[in-house]
Amino acid sequence: MKKYHLLGLFSNFDEAFTAISDIRHYKIPGVSVDDVTLISPIEHPEIEEILGDRGSHVPKFTLTGALFGCTAGFLFLASAQANFFVQPQGGKPVVPVPTNLVLSYEMLILFGVLSTLVGFLIGAQLLRKRKPLYSENVAIDQVGIEMEVEEKYIEPIKELFRQHQVLEIRDEVVK
Amino acid sequence: MQTKDINEDIKWAQINKDVLRSMENPRIGYWIAIAVSLFLLSFAIGAEIYQYNVGMGPANLNWPHMWDLYIATFIFWIGMSHSGTLLSAILHIIQADWRKPIYRFAEAMTTFSLMTAGLFPIIHIGRLWNMYWVLPYFSDRGIWPNFRSPLVWDAFAITTYLTSSALFLFIGMIPDLAICRDNARGWRKQLYTLLSLGWRGDDRQWRNFRRTYMLMACFLIPLAVSVHSIVSSDFAMSIMPGWHVTTFPPYFVAGALYSGCAAIMTLFILLRYFFRFEAYMTMPIMVKTCKLTFAIAMVWTYLNLIEFSSIWYGHDEVAKELLLAKFTGPYSPYFWAMLFFGSVLPFTLAFEKIRNNIPALFVISLLLNVGMWLERWMIVTPTLSLSYHPFAFDVMWPSWVQWFIVLGSFGWFGLLFLVFVKIVPSVSMYEVKEMIFHRRHLANKDIASVMHRRESDRQSGTDAPAPGLEGA
Amino acid sequence: MSLKNIFEDWSRYRRGREEGGFQDYEFMWGMAIDLNKCIGCNACSIACYAENNLAVVGKERFSKGQAMHWLRLERYWDEPDLGEERVSNYQHLGASFVPMLCQQCNAATCEPVCPVAATYHTPDGLNAQVYNRCIGSRYCSNNCPYRLRYFNFYSYYEDSWPSPLHMQLNPDLSVRDKGVMEKCTFCVQRIRTGKDKAAREGRQVEDGDIQTACAQTCPTGAITFGDLLNIYNPASGNADSKTAQMWRKHQVELGKTKQNKQTPDLRGYRIFESLNTDPCIMFLERVREV
Repeated sequence: MKKYHLLGLFSNFDEAFTAISDIRHYKIPGVSVDDVTLISPIEHPEIEEILGDRGSHVPKFTLTGALFGCTAGFLFLASAQANFFVQPQGGKPVVPVPTNLVLSYEMLILFGVLSTLVGFLIGAQLLRKRKPLYSENVAIDQVGIEMEVEEKYIEPIKELFRQHQVLEIRDEVVK
Repeated sequence: MQTKDINEDIKWAQINKDVLRSMENPRIGYWIAIAVSLFLLSFAIGAEIYQYNVGMGPANLNWPHMWDLYIATFIFWIGMSHSGTLLSAILHIIQADWRKPIYRFAEAMTTFSLMTAGLFPIIHIGRLWNMYWVLPYFSDRGIWPNFRSPLVWDAFAITTYLTSSALFLFIGMIPDLAICRDNARGWRKQLYTLLSLGWRGDDRQWRNFRRTYMLMACFLIPLAVSVHSIVSSDFAMSIMPGWHVTTFPPYFVAGALYSGCAAIMTLFILLRYFFRFEAYMTMPIMVKTCKLTFAIAMVWTYLNLIEFSSIWYGHDEVAKELLLAKFTGPYSPYFWAMLFFGSVLPFTLAFEKIRNNIPALFVISLLLNVGMWLERWMIVTPTLSLSYHPFAFDVMWPSWVQWFIVLGSFGWFGLLFLVFVKIVPSVSMYEVKEMIFHRRHLANKDIASVMHRRESDRQSGTDAPAPGLEGA
Repeated sequence: MSLKNIFEDWSRYRRGREEGGFQDYEFMWGMAIDLNKCIGCNACSIACYAENNLAVVGKERFSKGQAMHWLRLERYWDEPDLGEERVSNYQHLGASFVPMLCQQCNAATCEPVCPVAATYHTPDGLNAQVYNRCIGSRYCSNNCPYRLRYFNFYSYYEDSWPSPLHMQLNPDLSVRDKGVMEKCTFCVQRIRTGKDKAAREGRQVEDGDIQTACAQTCPTGAITFGDLLNIYNPASGNADSKTAQMWRKHQVELGKTKQNKQTPDLRGYRIFESLNTDPCIMFLERVREV
């Protein structure tokens, strides 16, 4: 069975919402809401009610990066200070804790930010070629529902979309 | 007279059109602005080349005035960079959506202020070709910078802040760059395709985006506070009277937010006029910004009063003498000007008529920033003119070399900002759409109730299977 | 980059300051300057110029405050309420002189703030300035409460010693370029030479072996230079120096912010010691007729 990409464009979010909630309520048996992707010009956290909470791994990256930055920063500084043969003293200790804490804090934030960026790039699957079904109207105001389904479900889905005043439907075979 | 933060009936296609129009081929006014910026910058470049060849002497720096306008302007620019953080990160976390049309240029201002501020440590040190020694790198001699020094903390903090704000700006721009990509041709299309990193707006990307943006905002706020505290510790960690003051970290942070807000007001008015963004950068938003500026001005004034009173009540004669010298000594005209512009002038923002009068606000915001620049100067110079040792009392005025370089920094900032507004949308299109979307839905109860149905809600007619599959 | 290094240096620090010892220092160079003997002749300042390749900057730059006098003679006029009805123009009633030079503080405020570690404390008790490492941020000068650090605002060597005056330069130390901080080093080149000579001769450094240029030149003998370590570490093997004896006599101690003295006749004091800089120079107060 061939698999198809299907993209239905709606004029506003509410119609797309109701279309997806129909799919969720098994109006088309065999098609589950997990195959659905919402493409929109703005973020819609409320879609998680019907798409399900698909979660995000970015906070894990952030935590790892921040902890790494803090500890590695402190150890790096302390070892550099301990090995620096010339010690500008001024009565201050060789490995001064207040100083190193300030700098470790900065390193915590720097590595936290950088690892968040890395997590974002990985989690959002950026830096890849865009999937072929992309309509520029999404950038303006239309909301798209994209699905990857088997051939036999295409007509029922198209019918469902038309019920919800879809503006345009595109489909393409998955290569 | 606009009464709402934004008109909820604006069509989204219109938003795209208006903002993208600001990025089209520039008209004559833009080229004049670029010419002026380059002109100012050329002053700085000439003065710096002269200073590089001859030494720090022509700047009128002397013993004991080892620091002067360069450090003051450095702190001024770092201070101005806090505007973006305030508006973007703090207001985002508290979900104040009136920030949405104006935060993009504010964040850009943060990044470019930091890039301008970063030039000053290079300019003010005596042997600038060795500047990189301040950074920790593995050298074959095992020599490291002195991590105890607040100047090295500055290097770390500013690098971190610049990286983080640039990334914050960039990540926030990705959906907008995707819009630009869809509407561009030629070299611009390639540029935006590269910059938008393959954004297509599916819910996976939005979900991760939302999480990332919130995390970065949460990082950026303590970072901004700590960066300016670290910059203030250049002074607070020293032993000099007038510098060794424990209120300096919050004082500097308050001053930074203050000058940042005033700069936002200035740029707001300029962008609104030149790009005709009246529908997005509305007067109610301007009024809110004015109120915020006024509030921060009062915090700054309070911290000033605290510093004065604790010195006045205390027993440190040296600090007292310095305080009196600030009020009555050779630098007193500038000190009183700073107090006037910083503490008295913001009271004009308490009047509604002035808050809605754009030319007045333009002048007021510029004067507020003048006041804040004077504040930085009045922190650096009077202390050095008195210090502890009576033999070292000296009055010094900066020379043309310093003034040219300070002026040129404004030219550099202007140049960066002007290039920015033509390459990248200076109003965040997707956030304005979000703002309109949420306000429209708040206003319209029917849509709201449909949208936020729960599983357990049952409505007639929606439980039947879809047509076409009944037989399947 | 080893843990062993970290722990070793930590204990070295602890032994040094907290046990009031400077236990593993080799020397603790210090001075005693008798303000009663000082007549303000400026010979010490000129000797310092000659010894340390200091540039004469010219009238215009001097009046702008860009001079390089590592040792400066400060003149203070007495106030009328000391018993005089008007301020006297005569030196013996009117002016006080204080020769100010780098105090080589043990808890120097200039050391921790240099971003590139161009200034540090040597095991001799000297505050060293490394010209090659200095990038000229001038934070150290701002942080010195005595304002004793000077900056090369110009490349003075270009104008100060036109040929053949450049032949007068001391080859034992460098001529500094623009952009570098400098200050009194207690004639460290003479200290090195003295120590090397003693080592070659197989003996300890004795008092009087090493003299700074200013101490050597002073006509009234107001400046005494020597090793203070014997006060704190009698086992150090350094002979008791005249300077150490003067410190002991005037009951001035290192490591304190306020000295306890038995009688006010003991004239020794240290400038700004309440700032906890722990300077190594003791000044002897001028005796006044009341």
